[in-house]
Amino acid sequence: MKGMEGRELEAGDKWEVQLRKGCLELAILGALWEGRRYGLEILRRLESDSDLIISEGTVYPLLSRLKALGLVRSEWVESDAGHPRKYYALTAAGKRRATEMAGIWGRFSTSMDKLLAPLAKEKR
Amino acid sequence: MTSTGEPGQRIDAYLGRLRGMLRGIRDEEVREIVEELRSHILDKASTSGEVTAAGVDAALAGLGSPEELASQYMTDNLLARAEISRSPVQILKSLFRWGSLSLGGFFVLLASVLGYFIGAVFILVAVLKPFHPHTAGLWSFPGGSGEHELSFRLGFGNVPAGGKDVLGWWIVPIGWMAGGGLVMLTTSIALWFVRQYRRSLALPRG
Repeated sequence: MKGMEGRELEAGDKWEVQLRKGCLELAILGALWEGRRYGLEILRRLESDSDLIISEGTVYPLLSRLKALGLVRSEWVESDAGHPRKYYALTAAGKRRATEMAGIWGRFSTSMDKLLAPLAKEKR
Repeated sequence: MTSTGEPGQRIDAYLGRLRGMLRGIRDEEVREIVEELRSHILDKASTSGEVTAAGVDAALAGLGSPEELASQYMTDNLLARAEISRSPVQILKSLFRWGSLSLGGFFVLLASVLGYFIGAVFILVAVLKPFHPHTAGLWSFPGGSGEHELSFRLGFGNVPAGGKDVLGWWIVPIGWMAGGGLVMLTTSIALWFVRQYRRSLALPRG
């Protein structure tokens, strides 16, 4: 049987996982903000800049859903590697959605930071 | 584009299986999905210059099994459609395809069929009541050991002896509200399960 501490740690992990999953769509839209990218580039960008590691099999269906919803568009571009790559870019609606989500995220994290400021002080 | 050599055959075999499972998605889209994944696999497998069998295996492992991947495409397709139209017919159609790929999907399908069916019966009885005022409705019949059995009657044929129309004309508003509510509830619950399923696969395991 797991001890109390183990169970608490597990609950913390679970919460973090939920939090990360909830941010996936915003993270992908955010990764496309500066310009078009192909699937693997998006994955690598998320890995390097957000330590939000998505399983590879998930990002492609997710991109195709965002495309079906009109938030991104795609185009095939020839590459030096010898095979074409499918690039994604934000549409006007995608930019609006990203801005809106980033705004909500910003307000939320600012207010959470304020609320949690005493905890951060105590830690020091 | 087809790939050559042994690693190429593995890629083709994987993509071939996936293609076979992507039912209900437009042909053109399926072609794009397959080509995009091929491009991903080749990129992943050739980081050190050459495409190797080990590199291909690692890339395929990263994508998960064709069943799992197809299942993710189907559920994402369903979620995208559901955001545009909440038609039970569309949702059931997509659930049928998902249900054939995953056990979880199969149970969601069964529950949804049941929910929509009962909802449809409520609505049907409400619709038919004005046409069969004396026979349609929710009827109660005396059962074996003094208990009563409830059953919906659409109003075709005669009512067996001893029956009692429980709700009378109230079946019209109640049928519409309960039926409509049940259909909407079924849709929401089904979509909730689809989202949970999608999220459960979003981050790498372990």
